[in-house]
Amino acid sequence: MEMKKLALVMATIAALGLAGCNDGDDGVAGTPGADGANGNNGTDGRDFTAVNQWYLAGQSTVAKAAESTISDPAGKAKNVILFVGDGMGVSTLTAARIFEGQQQGKSGEENRLSFETFPYSGLVKTYSSNQQTPDSAPTMSAIVTGAKTKDGMLSITDDAVRGDCASGQGHEMVSALALAEMAGMSTGVVSTARLTHATPAATYAHSVERNWEADSNMPAAAITAGCTDIASQLIDFPYGDGIEVALGGGRTYFMPNTENDPEYGSAGRRNDGRDLTSEWTSKHAGSSYVWNLDQFMSVDLATTKHLLGLFENSHMQYEADRSDDSAGEPSLAQMTSRALDMLKQNDKGYFLMVEGGRIDHAHHAGNAARALEDTVALSEAVRVAMEKAGPDTLILVTADHSHVFTIAGYPVRGNPILGLVRSVDENGEAAKTLSVDANGMPYTTLGYANGPGFGFGSSPVNMASARPDLNLYDVTDVDYRQEATVPLGSETHAGEDVAVYAMGPGAQLVTGSVEQNMLFHVMNYAADLEARAEANQP
Amino acid sequence: MFYKALMLLALGSLSAHGASVCPATAPAGAWGLEYQVSASQSGAEPRQVQLLRRGAQTALYSPEHQMAEWWHFEDPKRPGFSRVFDQQQRRIDYYMGDLRALGVQAQQEEVESFAARHLLGQLTKQGSSPCEHAERYQGEINGVSYDLLWSPVLAAPLAIVTRKGEVERRWQADKLLGKDAVNARFATWQRYRETDFADIGDMENDPFLAKMINQGFIEHREHAVYNDQGQPLATGHSH
Ligand SMILES: [Zn+2]
Repeated sequence: MEMKKLALVMATIAALGLAGCNDGDDGVAGTPGADGANGNNGTDGRDFTAVNQWYLAGQSTVAKAAESTISDPAGKAKNVILFVGDGMGVSTLTAARIFEGQQQGKSGEENRLSFETFPYSGLVKTYSSNQQTPDSAPTMSAIVTGAKTKDGMLSITDDAVRGDCASGQGHEMVSALALAEMAGMSTGVVSTARLTHATPAATYAHSVERNWEADSNMPAAAITAGCTDIASQLIDFPYGDGIEVALGGGRTYFMPNTENDPEYGSAGRRNDGRDLTSEWTSKHAGSSYVWNLDQFMSVDLATTKHLLGLFENSHMQYEADRSDDSAGEPSLAQMTSRALDMLKQNDKGYFLMVEGGRIDHAHHAGNAARALEDTVALSEAVRVAMEKAGPDTLILVTADHSHVFTIAGYPVRGNPILGLVRSVDENGEAAKTLSVDANGMPYTTLGYANGPGFGFGSSPVNMASARPDLNLYDVTDVDYRQEATVPLGSETHAGEDVAVYAMGPGAQLVTGSVEQNMLFHVMNYAADLEARAEANQP
Repeated sequence: MFYKALMLLALGSLSAHGASVCPATAPAGAWGLEYQVSASQSGAEPRQVQLLRRGAQTALYSPEHQMAEWWHFEDPKRPGFSRVFDQQQRRIDYYMGDLRALGVQAQQEEVESFAARHLLGQLTKQGSSPCEHAERYQGEINGVSYDLLWSPVLAAPLAIVTRKGEVERRWQADKLLGKDAVNARFATWQRYRETDFADIGDMENDPFLAKMINQGFIEHREHAVYNDQGQPLATGHSH
């Protein structure tokens, strides 16, 4: 069974021409550029380095980079941690960095999110095999399987047709997580979204339709044709000894419709009568299922070998609302921390995927404050990993796609990132009045190219023909929705590149501008996943 | 600006119509009230709105639009909300963070009382009522005159007549719905295909949701006594 699946990924990768050809995607470095870091003074007698801290800091960074000539051999990484901020585009990172800095009482721009201190970074092209601007299904599939696919499909090659069960059969692509299980490593999936949502699902499930999260979401024909829902694939995961840690939301997708949710009383979403949470505990010896913070924190990690935590009936709370959850929810950092404590116990290493899943949702709602708070929460989770993971661990931080989120105007340094634009005067000092548009109206630094638009109200589309007078609103309120140029009920994803940051063995491969599916190959090279999987077969 | 200003209208006396529904006790389990909503000068036919109650659940249903707004107040500080579309047999579920991001702050008693509860303390209770089991309140708030017939056993209004200048509007309960009808409707809605509001942005290939994305979530708030900010129209409160 396992070997057959393994053979499949090899065949798939070979068929797609993604292995063994020298098309520039193989990580071979180009001709080095001239050394521009010697810091020599100019020839006009001025010492540029004398007083300017900006100059000195930049010079020192370049000098350090020039000293590094790392070329880690394949397989040097024992462990891999992959962080994905769903919808965490570059503008989101910039705004979140300033937001976090300002929360700490600083001006903000100089702040760095935890992963912005990583030694390597690059840009990632996110288009899917059939769309310029993608959704999370093909992008995460690319990241964890090494091949791009069509929108809406999870870890199935793009020969398949979305929603057509039969077209996907035999076209499953094996993920990095599956390879890690085959290699005898421990594995984990952590998300603030539903565990059955596209990003986490791509690591363990195959589906021609990302919305087939429970059997009740599937057409009868697909079930008859032999396709299975995503939640059941997490429990029935066939590789190795199964996933060790699965933490996130989506509880009711694992519960039969004859049972009611313990927190909300709503019915389970399974028509097949399966209670996947009890199947989890009966399938794995030494396993636990938890659904609230107290239960989660009291799990004995030394004796628990398989842990399933489902903390909401659907997505977990936004970080901004988490403290108000009635049953109590762990933060992304807490989930990451305890997941690592469990996974680290395996001498053969581990693969962990952590998703900040709700950045995307807040952006879709046109609500920048929640998107930024969830981005900072992801940064905190990465900080935990930086502390807990040893030097034998490759850590990648990236996003699946961006959003049409903008940082605009010429606000003075330190201007509240959620606030109205206040520029500088002719002397470069903070202006006494707000910047205004052609109508004399102020505007926020943050905005969206499309979406629900301005306001607090429940009617999401700004139908008014003129811009509102934002002087009358608290635009820094967590519930404020930024203005949007094109009125849509939901803001859309964006098509530009996202960033990727890397530290640990193999991190040097992350540089330049790459295709998204290349990230799998970085992880595979760094941890030698395929070779370890093959070597571990009986 | 979002304010469709208080479209609160005027009308004759309550008593002519006030007693068509007037229960002595609240039906056990579930019940509903069907209101005729009419405006004095619109020339339009009266429209129906139903208030459906079962335990901590309350729905406002518009038979005309075949749409409902369905609230769950099992935990009053963290209400659940669904928007129901009968024609398409679809439901959009909103969770706490969604409601907050949308700035919706509905109060349980206001939803359950058809947005009339807050009026009781501001109006004057009258000595006589057109209905034995109901209390009558009258008064003026912010230039709007009110005539309210309140059922203490249902904790809901049986009639509200508002008048401002020439404009008059009437909400008149004319039918009490039994528990079987209400339970059946809730059960039907429960079976509809549901989508989390948070997921809509990722589902533009769904024709029903794409329509919503392109048009926005068109509100039909006039069918209820709420404005499009989710606030009871009668309070006149706004950001
Ligand atoms: Zn999205």
